[in-house]
Amino acid sequence: MPRPEESAPDLTKVNAGHNSLRKHASMDAISSDESVRLRHYDRPGPRYTSYPTAPNFSESFGEVELRAAVQRSNSDPIPRPLSLYVHVLYCSSPCFYCACNRVITRDRSRAAAYVSQLVREIALLAPLFDPDREAVQLHLGGGTPNFLAPHQIEEVIDSLLVHFRLAPAATRDFSIELDPRFVQPGDISALAGIGFNRASLGVQDFDPEVQRAINRIQSVEETMAALEACRRHGFRSVNIDLIYGLPKQTLEGFGRTLDLVTAARPDRLAIYGYAHMPTQFRAQRQINVADLPAPEVRIELLQLAIERLGHAGYRYIGMDHFALPDDELSVAQRGGALRRNFMGYTTHAESDVVGFGVSAISHIGDSYSQNPRDLPAWQHAIDAGRIPVWRGLRLSADDLVRADVIGQLMCQGTIDIRELESRHNLEFKSHFAAELTHLAVLAGEGLVEIRPALIRATSRGRLLLRIIAECFDRYLHLPRPAGAKVAKAIRPGRERGGREPAGGSPQPDRR
Amino acid sequence: MSRLAGRHNPIADDGDELRFCSTCAFSAACLAQGYDKQALAQLHVLVEHVGPIAEGEHIFREGDVFTAIAAVRAGTVKTSVIDRDGREQVLGFHLPGELIGLSAISDDRYPCNAIALDRVHLCRFSFPQLATLAARMPGVQEQLFRLLSLDIGKAALLSGDFSADERMAAFLVSLSRRYAARGFSATRVHLTMGRTDMANYLRLAVETVSRVLRRFQSQGLISVDRRELQIRDLTRLQTLAQGVLRE
Repeated sequence: MPRPEESAPDLTKVNAGHNSLRKHASMDAISSDESVRLRHYDRPGPRYTSYPTAPNFSESFGEVELRAAVQRSNSDPIPRPLSLYVHVLYCSSPCFYCACNRVITRDRSRAAAYVSQLVREIALLAPLFDPDREAVQLHLGGGTPNFLAPHQIEEVIDSLLVHFRLAPAATRDFSIELDPRFVQPGDISALAGIGFNRASLGVQDFDPEVQRAINRIQSVEETMAALEACRRHGFRSVNIDLIYGLPKQTLEGFGRTLDLVTAARPDRLAIYGYAHMPTQFRAQRQINVADLPAPEVRIELLQLAIERLGHAGYRYIGMDHFALPDDELSVAQRGGALRRNFMGYTTHAESDVVGFGVSAISHIGDSYSQNPRDLPAWQHAIDAGRIPVWRGLRLSADDLVRADVIGQLMCQGTIDIRELESRHNLEFKSHFAAELTHLAVLAGEGLVEIRPALIRATSRGRLLLRIIAECFDRYLHLPRPAGAKVAKAIRPGRERGGREPAGGSPQPDRR
Repeated sequence: MSRLAGRHNPIADDGDELRFCSTCAFSAACLAQGYDKQALAQLHVLVEHVGPIAEGEHIFREGDVFTAIAAVRAGTVKTSVIDRDGREQVLGFHLPGELIGLSAISDDRYPCNAIALDRVHLCRFSFPQLATLAARMPGVQEQLFRLLSLDIGKAALLSGDFSADERMAAFLVSLSRRYAARGFSATRVHLTMGRTDMANYLRLAVETVSRVLRRFQSQGLISVDRRELQIRDLTRLQTLAQGVLRE
């Protein structure tokens, strides 16, 4: 990745000028004009945790194609290291905003069955990878990973340790999403013992009114206790997830949540937008539309979050993610080393992602593939000794160029044209002639700067990276599959709030 | 480099009935003798374009009756033999403008397998009697001998007692020079061979290939992203390769 000419906007700086192209402009001063413009872009758009996005995966890509993709990736001169993702399907209580692929149950015995199936899947898939490929990253998402008891999580990790070569403890990332409501005393210490060193805590909003409306009653105390436990047990970084646009949400209430959260100083923060799509996500039908904040309030909520986080010293990383300046993500972004995959932003050099569990997505070599979204289909394939692939695709040369462009935008907010031309042996101006006309419109709106050697999202545009990325999405201009829907642009769907719901990319998209 | 790029997998300036292809291994020798393509046809030398041949397909197998030599027009051809234990031994990689089948000239049968590593296009020179042609055109004979000795020289490169780093450096320098000689980039190379083939050819363990490349990368000599190789310091690489390349 090229080094960006300029680092990310510094949120702590006070906005001094009115020039729309000003450098290092703070984002805490969104004028009412801008607010109107932002609302204008509050329209459907994909999230680009992958390009092409999951709805474009095809069922003609199956086990045979996946095996071939792994084989090709093994034969690279320097095969990429591996990132392992495990999807835990279950939750014990339904949050009404959720758009995630999960099953609600109170029957803990299902956890044991799921774990033993995961262990079998790992044993099926792992031998395909050359043994010298190191696993540098491991992430447990869901669902609710801590639906599993620590000893069950350990069983999964042990199986991964047996079958993959894990990077040394000092360099590897073991992360887990935690629902603080279900963290038992001793859990965090057990997880640290298993090797976890990063955690992401779901909060959404501490406002009791909101919590009732979303069916997620969670105290500040239990949340902070989980956070403190992570720190006490040496976790390298803790993330907190918030959501704006939830029912009953007010500036006052959300402001209190922001104050509480920033005072706790988590290393990273994610602020997702809630996307209300009740026809697609049953759980959301429990939400009373009349309780949802008006469009202008949504923008004010986002603006408030950006402002408070800025004053608290957080840097905007991109796509809903913030981090303290000394967090690895901020450091990596300044050094041009930030990457993004299905697990969100990462500091690891590009790796191949291997997904396990129902609906998990893999990104191996030049392919994407996804496991079945329903439990029986996934179980059945594994029982039959087959690698459970539901759908996927092999990236074309054109896909690879566009994926590179979109990845640069998402991670650096910048496209280094010269570097891209040289890497892909093309002339940007002619190759992307049509795209440049789309971009010109956005440039007119002050969202993007177009220079001969550089395309850069302005500080305003960085809030709308997906709108800029859309210009390069060839598939958007093609007829969409029937029934396909997408999340909204400033309503970045999230794992529990409408993340890439069209066809479902149920994998987490955080950090 | 993306597969979009024509640069690494070109059918550069294709010939026709009268003109040779720009990458032709023989055109200079033939033309110097006053033979153009038509004149060759009159000698019953059939020059024809073959392909595309798909990745993994055999072009000829060890023991097949020798009928023609071929110049690679696009893609990469791997030559190899199967040893007594049934293991493959990679003999070489043939890039655009380079010949395959030369080693069969001394015999009536191909002594090795030739396999397409990606989509391959060939220019096939079939002649009933090589001797006739060579006798009629001393320049062609000279060229054949030159190419033959180059081929032998290439094989000898790796027979010495060289370190993994030296072997790898020599391999990369050789790729760079050979592409450059045909008008392609000397510093950006699409590696069509997997690391298993590379390891086999260089007589190294597969893991060693990756380890050495990773080391070169951290030393700033090269950068590798999947199959795309960028040479960042050709001079230092050449210095490393000196012993092997006998320079």
